[in-house]
Amino acid sequence: MSEKPRVGVYVCHCGINIAATVNVEEVVEFASRLPGVTVVRNYAYMCSDPGQQLVREDIENENLNRIVVASCSPRMHEITFRRTLQDAGLNPYYLEMANIREHCSWVHPDSEEATPKAKKLVSAAVSKARMLEPLEEKEVDSERTAMVIGGGIAGIQSALDIADAGYQVYLVEKSPSVGGRMAQLDKTFPTLDCSACIMTPKMVDVANHPNIELMTYSEVEEVNGFIGNFEVKVRKKARYVDIDKCNGCGECADNCRVKNRIPNEFDANVGKRSAIYLPFPQAVPAKFTVDPDHCLYLTKGKCGKGPKCQEVCGTGAIDFEQQDEEVEVKVGAIIVATGFDTFDPSNKPEYGYQDYPNVITGLEMERLVAASGPTGGELLIGEGENARKPKKVAFIQCVGSRDASVGNEYCSRVCCMYTAKQAHLIKEKIPDAEVTVYYMDVRAFGKGFEEFYDRVRREGIRYIRGNPSEIFKKDDKLIVKVEDTLTATPREDEADLVVLAVGLEPRQDARGVIDLLRLSQTSDRFFMEAHPKLYPVDTSTDGVFLAGCAQGPKDIPDTVAQAKGAAASAMIPLSRGKVKVEAQTAEVNEATCRGCGFCTEVCPYSAIELKTINWFGHEVNVAEVNEALCKGCGTCSAACLSNSIQPRSFRDSQIMPQIAALGVKS
Amino acid sequence: MVDLETIRKKAKEIVSREDVKHLIGWRKGTFGYRVTPYWVEAPEDAEELVYSPLCNTNLATSLTLAEKLPLPKGQEPDRRKTALLVRGCDSRAVVQLLTERGVDREQVVLLGLPCRGVVDLRKLKDSYPEDNEVADAEWKEDKIVLNVSGEKKEIPREEVLDDHCLVCRYPNPVEADETLGEKVEPWAEESHPGVEELENASFDKRWDFWEKEFERCIRCYACRNACPMCYCEDCILDRLNPTWIYRSNNYSENTAFHIARAFHLVGRCVSCGACERVCPAGIPLGKINQKLVKEVREKYEFEPGTDPEGVPFQASYNPQDQEDFIL
Repeated sequence: MSEKPRVGVYVCHCGINIAATVNVEEVVEFASRLPGVTVVRNYAYMCSDPGQQLVREDIENENLNRIVVASCSPRMHEITFRRTLQDAGLNPYYLEMANIREHCSWVHPDSEEATPKAKKLVSAAVSKARMLEPLEEKEVDSERTAMVIGGGIAGIQSALDIADAGYQVYLVEKSPSVGGRMAQLDKTFPTLDCSACIMTPKMVDVANHPNIELMTYSEVEEVNGFIGNFEVKVRKKARYVDIDKCNGCGECADNCRVKNRIPNEFDANVGKRSAIYLPFPQAVPAKFTVDPDHCLYLTKGKCGKGPKCQEVCGTGAIDFEQQDEEVEVKVGAIIVATGFDTFDPSNKPEYGYQDYPNVITGLEMERLVAASGPTGGELLIGEGENARKPKKVAFIQCVGSRDASVGNEYCSRVCCMYTAKQAHLIKEKIPDAEVTVYYMDVRAFGKGFEEFYDRVRREGIRYIRGNPSEIFKKDDKLIVKVEDTLTATPREDEADLVVLAVGLEPRQDARGVIDLLRLSQTSDRFFMEAHPKLYPVDTSTDGVFLAGCAQGPKDIPDTVAQAKGAAASAMIPLSRGKVKVEAQTAEVNEATCRGCGFCTEVCPYSAIELKTINWFGHEVNVAEVNEALCKGCGTCSAACLSNSIQPRSFRDSQIMPQIAALGVKS
Repeated sequence: MVDLETIRKKAKEIVSREDVKHLIGWRKGTFGYRVTPYWVEAPEDAEELVYSPLCNTNLATSLTLAEKLPLPKGQEPDRRKTALLVRGCDSRAVVQLLTERGVDREQVVLLGLPCRGVVDLRKLKDSYPEDNEVADAEWKEDKIVLNVSGEKKEIPREEVLDDHCLVCRYPNPVEADETLGEKVEPWAEESHPGVEELENASFDKRWDFWEKEFERCIRCYACRNACPMCYCEDCILDRLNPTWIYRSNNYSENTAFHIARAFHLVGRCVSCGACERVCPAGIPLGKINQKLVKEVREKYEFEPGTDPEGVPFQASYNPQDQEDFIL
């Protein structure tokens, strides 16, 4: 630190991104007069190899010891230029970036304003750079295991890929079986593959894979640690069935006293099940589970003379004494594949979902047409003797999507196509049915989508452009009130069955996941990726990755692609066996720390603890930072009552001159 | 309530203990109604203790005054405890200090005393002026009895009690090793003196009000020194690099000082009123602090100094916390 700062300032044109609004020459001239500045250069693209070469050469020839790059956001190229400094033998933390693109040229159309601001930003960066200190980058060992949270197609695919690469994976699923939403679907668009047929082999694979430990009916309770070294507590909920003994025969469910009286969640509540149940025939593991909310013995403490299921179970697998079990595992990376919920159409009362039994959601439709569904694939409306095939079926698109009135402005990306598919399936089952689709726009953007949409229309399915305003009942018919916006004609169409193409929403329990893993949300409330384009599977928490609809609505191919991407990213620390830890960590001044512990309470990474030291004969408490856990976020510094904890590179002594420089007229 | 002999007897007992260094209480001052904090170092000193409506300092302030000077090598630190007389508000201050780890519970002995409120000397000034003679006062049911130069005067307490005491909801200690005497029934509903009135005034009126008040501030820092919560060794007011608040005594800097102090007390102020009672300029500091106390209570359902095991307000976070104040 004793050497005098010799600052090199490099002003980037970024093609014309910066140079069009910022007078680069003027900034260079200004920077050359700043104290401590030895070299100032400008270049069209500083991030290019010749641009970086300029810096390297100057470090060598001009003996520079601080570098300021005035270009884009540090989120873009800080790492690039740190590497440049390192290559030239300078500590990479002697770099300071002035963001004259996002913070300046892109937001000011006017050069009159942009140039002076660029000067100030450069001057501030130089002021800070002069005070920078060298930091040491450390590496710690990484666990060579991963955890995948969520056992839908995304989670299954990620788990399989990581396991195939030879690493141990813990796959945690909340419900009794893996499979998720995809297992609920009948056929998949646009190829009309049977969803279950392509899904079940993968489900069986995860159960049998030697590298996968499947934890169904389990929830993540607590996550501590950091990339490479997460410690995860998982609660395995009591199934009340010994899965080693259960052979899946189903005698128990057949003899349950509340048989066929509980809505089956897997069948979108259109089918019924017992209190001891297998969610669906292909469930993995094929083991029964007692529903503690409905089982008479568990809720009332009494079930006839004794639980019948226990009586008939040939293997003695049912054990009502079973308790939740907590296990702790250490993993190097975590993939979040927690999926989605469908929009609840009772939030749009005009469609009468709650009032009319023949208004159903797309997911309910899937279960009704599925061969494995509660009706065996037969689509009927009405009860008992009145049961008949619907002759007029209406589909309404964008229910809960592209609709600011329910708070979902985004497109759910799958509803256009699943509606087309369902329309096709109805036509196949009931050839004389009149099928009408009410749409805003048809978004058939994927591979084979447009062709499929064409095919469906050729099959005689009517597409009417209009967003229905209301569904009401007239006699025993449902009436869809809509304006055909292509011909500006108001219509009132009859329908026997109305299917609401409900959109995708973040899961109701997403908040818990956010708190566990310190994730962020985008404005649509889905989990936020680290960068929408360049880091689409990473999150703001290192070592935590996103796959599938938890990150945003997507169809099956996109989900699988993202799952594979997340798996590949998660394997980086696993295969290296080492992870870099943040160098810009917080540091405690033990002489002034009062040991109040505010920092320990506010630290989002649980990186700070109090320790007792001997202070000139007195025993006093002071904070201690675990540098492997600290991310340098600075929350501790903001909470500190005595200014005793500060993140390196963001100390008061470094940012105060930076702020002061912004106040100076240029 | 509790009689003085019981307090003195108990204090003697405590000071006689091996593990107790001293007991902090009050004794008569040198003139008029004045009462001063008093360190009882030996059992016989306890005879000088007093406990009356004139005991208007918050003794919790004394707990954080002790400096830990460097010890010569080999010398053991004095690990004896400090005993303290605490009323409702003093005990809340101690509890707040405990949650902030400003005080170690193992290092204090708390002798609880129920309280019926203390007198605001400014309210006595006109009708019952003090003279050089040392005067006395005591509680009698809902009245305060003043004993000035041998003459006893009974005054309804509403007339002379401190504004904070008029609405006190914690007349009994919330934390103590032992509480003497009978508990006092709280007499007040939740309210914040003077706050509602100001809240309803227009922006200009409020500005004018505080401009007038802060202009009179002489920057003696008595409020800071009397406050049990102002115990930072490195106070923002004393800092030079950067100098957040300049020493010049003018409206602008005075306002910055009072706003800074108020913000540093958010979720920490225990409404004892000590700051306002010591202000030589008579600035209604309680109004600022009470406004913030009210905000914290209403928005975050937090009341400082009530839960010794609790987490300090600034260090607690709940994802459901209101954020509507963020612009």
